[in-house]
Amino acid sequence: MKMPGGDKILDCIQCGVCAGSCHARFAMDYSPMQILKMVHLGLRREVLSSSTIWICASCYTCASRCPRSLDIPAIMSGLKNVAMRTNVPAPVALKPIFHRQFTEIIGRYGRMHEPELKMRLMKKTNPFEILQNASFGVRMFRKGKVRLRPSRIGSSTHFSEIFRNASNEERRR
Amino acid sequence: MRYAFFPGCSLHASAKECAMSANAVSKCLGIELVEIPEWNCCGSIDAVYAYNPFLSVSLSARNLAIAEKMGMDIVTLCSACFFTLSRASNILRENAEIKKRVAEVINDAGLKFEGGVKVRHYLDVLSNDVGVEEISRQVKVPLGGLRVAPYYGCLVVRPKVIQRFDDPEHPTSMDSVIEALGAEAVYYPDKTRCCGASLVITDESVMMEMAKGLLVTAKNMQADCLATLCPMCHLNLDAKQRDIESHFGVRFGLPVLYLTQLIGVAFGLDPKELGLNRNLVSPMKLLQKTKCG
Amino acid sequence: MTIPPSIGVYICHCGGNISDTVDVAKVKEAITKSHGVKICETYDYMCSKPGQDMIERDINEHKLNRVVVASCSPRMHLDTFRRAVKRARLNPYLLDMANIREQCSWVHDDKELATTKATAIIRGMVERARHLEPLEAKKIAVNRDVAVVGGGIAGILASIELADKGYKVYLIERSPSIGGRMAQLSKTFPTLDCSACILTPKMVYVSQHPNIEIIDMAEPIAVNGSPGNYSITVTIRPRYVDKERCISCGECARVCPVKKPSEHEEGLTQEKSIFLPFKQAVPNAYVIDRDLCLWFNKGVCRVCERFCKGKAIVFDQKEEIRELKVGAVVVCTGYQQLDPRLSKEIFGGLDLFGQYGFGLHPDVVTNLQFERLMLQGIHRPSSNNPPKKVAFALCVGSRMDQGVQYCCKIGCMNAIKQALLLLKAVPDAEPWIFYTDIRAHGKGYEEFYSNARAHNVKFIRGRVAEVVPNGDSLILRAEDTILSRQVEEEFDLVVLSPALLPNEGSAELSKMLGIDLGLDSFFLEKHHKLRPVDTKREGVYLAGCALGPKDIRETTIETMATASKVTTFLGKGELSVSPEIAHILPERCNACEECVKYCPTKAIESTPSGVVINSISCTGCGICVARCPTEAIDLKHSTDAQLIAQIQGTCTGEGDRPLIIAFLERTTAYGSADLAGQTRVSYAGSVRIIAVPSTGRVSLRHLLHAFASDADGVILIEGDDSPFQEDQVREHVNNMKKELGRFGVESLRVASTTTTLPQYDKVVNLFQTFHERISKMKRIPPEKRQKIAEALAGSGSA
Repeated sequence: MKMPGGDKILDCIQCGVCAGSCHARFAMDYSPMQILKMVHLGLRREVLSSSTIWICASCYTCASRCPRSLDIPAIMSGLKNVAMRTNVPAPVALKPIFHRQFTEIIGRYGRMHEPELKMRLMKKTNPFEILQNASFGVRMFRKGKVRLRPSRIGSSTHFSEIFRNASNEERRR
Repeated sequence: MRYAFFPGCSLHASAKECAMSANAVSKCLGIELVEIPEWNCCGSIDAVYAYNPFLSVSLSARNLAIAEKMGMDIVTLCSACFFTLSRASNILRENAEIKKRVAEVINDAGLKFEGGVKVRHYLDVLSNDVGVEEISRQVKVPLGGLRVAPYYGCLVVRPKVIQRFDDPEHPTSMDSVIEALGAEAVYYPDKTRCCGASLVITDESVMMEMAKGLLVTAKNMQADCLATLCPMCHLNLDAKQRDIESHFGVRFGLPVLYLTQLIGVAFGLDPKELGLNRNLVSPMKLLQKTKCG
Repeated sequence: MTIPPSIGVYICHCGGNISDTVDVAKVKEAITKSHGVKICETYDYMCSKPGQDMIERDINEHKLNRVVVASCSPRMHLDTFRRAVKRARLNPYLLDMANIREQCSWVHDDKELATTKATAIIRGMVERARHLEPLEAKKIAVNRDVAVVGGGIAGILASIELADKGYKVYLIERSPSIGGRMAQLSKTFPTLDCSACILTPKMVYVSQHPNIEIIDMAEPIAVNGSPGNYSITVTIRPRYVDKERCISCGECARVCPVKKPSEHEEGLTQEKSIFLPFKQAVPNAYVIDRDLCLWFNKGVCRVCERFCKGKAIVFDQKEEIRELKVGAVVVCTGYQQLDPRLSKEIFGGLDLFGQYGFGLHPDVVTNLQFERLMLQGIHRPSSNNPPKKVAFALCVGSRMDQGVQYCCKIGCMNAIKQALLLLKAVPDAEPWIFYTDIRAHGKGYEEFYSNARAHNVKFIRGRVAEVVPNGDSLILRAEDTILSRQVEEEFDLVVLSPALLPNEGSAELSKMLGIDLGLDSFFLEKHHKLRPVDTKREGVYLAGCALGPKDIRETTIETMATASKVTTFLGKGELSVSPEIAHILPERCNACEECVKYCPTKAIESTPSGVVINSISCTGCGICVARCPTEAIDLKHSTDAQLIAQIQGTCTGEGDRPLIIAFLERTTAYGSADLAGQTRVSYAGSVRIIAVPSTGRVSLRHLLHAFASDADGVILIEGDDSPFQEDQVREHVNNMKKELGRFGVESLRVASTTTTLPQYDKVVNLFQTFHERISKMKRIPPEKRQKIAEALAGSGSA
């Protein structure tokens, strides 16, 4: 599906207000402005393997100030999508795994279940890295902020069908 | 005032106190939040959207369609859900082809989407449907000059697709509510600066850097606490505060309350009803200090 | 017509250019038999002296009262032949030309077809000629006074130029003093002239010039009349001070208890509700701000009156209405800067200054405010200390989808100038300029820019993201796009370059004057390259920032051009007015006023005695003619009778070949078809061209006549620069197509387009493809044609 945003990349005048506004800029190798230029020039490999597209937090500060009204977070999402579909490795392996596992859990319950998400990520990457958050997890649990059993949607809602059809819709096209 | 209430995944788990305080406060203000039956995940700002955007829009559309059946506008407390549902609503309205394909998908469950439903944020309802005067009228325990840093976060005020009810650079609606409670809305230059919530699982250190900045500014402005709207922001600033402190070797001890919790305190409601005991950085000492709660 | 037409037809060989393709003998034979033709001759070169002599001789000998010359395009020799018949004492409008060269012999190879077509074209002209009437070009006297609206530098210089040439000028200024924006500037770039020093002598000159009358506190509220004879009604607001008696001693202001932000100082300081606009104001007199004065609001005070040395305070001064009679109007209304209030008003509630912290901290100022700070002795508004670290943020609200699209043109140079002035005043200051592109286009600008760099002004390429007040100072964030890193710096002062917009009231003024605003909402010139200071209305001109943002030098140059245009227009003291204009048939007019709406030059007025077309304002386009629901308007020299006769005449021909009538707007579209001929491009011989003032003049009836008279298809082509614009053409044609359906004529039988002069290939392409389409469709059956003819006869308009 052609998501909104991509058609305006050519409008970018490279003014830099997006890069200047970006709250996550410090963690990016290329600035958002550079990514737009690189997309324009077709520098596929550099763009898809940049940290930038994975760090964008979709806060929309850039887009609200962009003089050409580019939807930069949507473009970043789109680039991530391309990277995942074409199996370009992300700078941190965890990220594409996160997207996939998150989606699968939604498919399973209709709603997010954080403990299961954490467990799946642990299994797929370095378990010890996730365990570093153990104290955090304990604190949350103590305050009753961790649901042991997932909140789920009833089966009579045909939710799974919708989820399945929507997931495969793209492939059918 | 009846609305189709979309809680979102956080409100059923890590952010229960948000829902609790909102429900308590809504009762006082004559707001009826009718939870959308069998709602599903909003579709996510990015987690699902970047992976499969069509799926994300379909997930949003299912919620919109159920709300349409209920015949009420959607109200949400979570800014992320607010944005996601608004974005989907906008895409469906502007792109006839996607609308058709999504309709085919949700039709299997007998659901239809026409586009008549508005997606609104709870703060919008408080400011525009209820009004600051009414809130002020119901204050039983004025918050005695408590210095509150109003933290809006990003998605409640910004993208073009949302129902804009406040200025994207310098919003004041939450400030007005805080003032109406008898507290002081402190000048907080980072009021719309992103906390990095969407990065909490995959890029924790980046998120902590961003959240730390917010806490530092609040401390510099001599705020007694932060008021926040979004459960994602709250998690970052409250639940993660201890981790941020140890990671950077700083000390904040800054309570972070949901705006609805603050309102509830000022309305003289039971702290347990407001879930105040669930905040990780305990606000109890602070509230006692200012002779309320 | 009491005297029957006696027509002389002259067919030119054009040295073979025509006769090599068209069998002129055969044509002569056919035409001689036509009804009303007294004499028909052929000749080698009709435009030569012997050719013209022949016409003159025949007019006298054979008592001809109509002449048709069948030769080249009228765009070549219409005037030549008109002069010839004039010499023979025949009214020049009783002559017309049939174009059988550019639009016949030069574009067809098939001799038989060319001959048939040439015969038909001439026959059409002959039929038209029978209905021609004598017409006289009118000469009207023009008023040689000029109204200049706006008393800034453009208005001032325009007034001086015209007054020095002997014209009387009314300089109408809305505020209490002339001078405009320039009076607020410190120094100008790139020469660093003192702005007031070059402006104020001009202001004084204007005030003392015997030919200039300054009407201050005044605004136009209505404009009537026609080019050369306009009548402008202005309202003059009371200043509550007698200008003659005021000696500007300032006592009134000293004792006035009401303070307000000073307009001249851009709100940085306070002045009283009775104030002098600025020290060098012209007229140099005080004025009372009625909205704040205690007397007008609460009925108390009047202290100023007691202390006034000249007894000049007049609280019961009334608004005055004056009518000015002028021949031309010059619009010099200038610009205004974008501000938060205006931003929210125009851009859907969005405050484009939000991200810059404007209004949240006193040390975020506009560039105009900075000018005032420079003149006050540069200091931070928050303290009285000089600023050290100053940031200049360019393009605030400019070059933005959410704001204005265009560049403000002077922002870059202004910032560079201000940075250099700052360094002069505060040698250890640190000016930083945050830019997206440095535009240093004018004379001496690039050198000025280099100079700034040499003085260590810091240039950071990156549009400013945000300015956040931080206690006493300001934190500015932007991306240095060249080094690719975020910049976060603390500044004492931040200077913004706001977008420039047309001044308040421009939309209303444009409607009053009957001129247009461009897409950028500034006043629109008639032609971007060749008519940059004219408007679409004769006698109304533009100069300065009313047209769009620009610097002082360019404004000056424009006013010189405008003054020259005005004198060309008014210089002879009279205007020649074409008689080819529209007029109302009062017996048919029911005063529905549809025509008033559609006239592109505001030439039609509704008066108590009925709807009237101003013969001087009317440009003869004929758009009103087709719009009139009761057919109560006709057009001289393109009357209904003439047009229908020409259609019927042109539609004669033999054979089974399809016939297409093409109505071409007579200047650009017709010229384009001529160009096709000059280039010898071939196209289908089925197309026969009829010139019309505008395709807006062609209505359903004319199409029906064409179809009734043997045509199988109709084309309409309008010129791109015509007042009848593309979307209007389309609407007009679509409406006619719908109506044709009632007569069983398929809408595919009508085509239309607009064209520029050089796009003859577009015209030819349309002719060809349309011919192919019509060829594939069967010819319209005679019964259908008969039915249409009956319907036309029945409606009494055959």
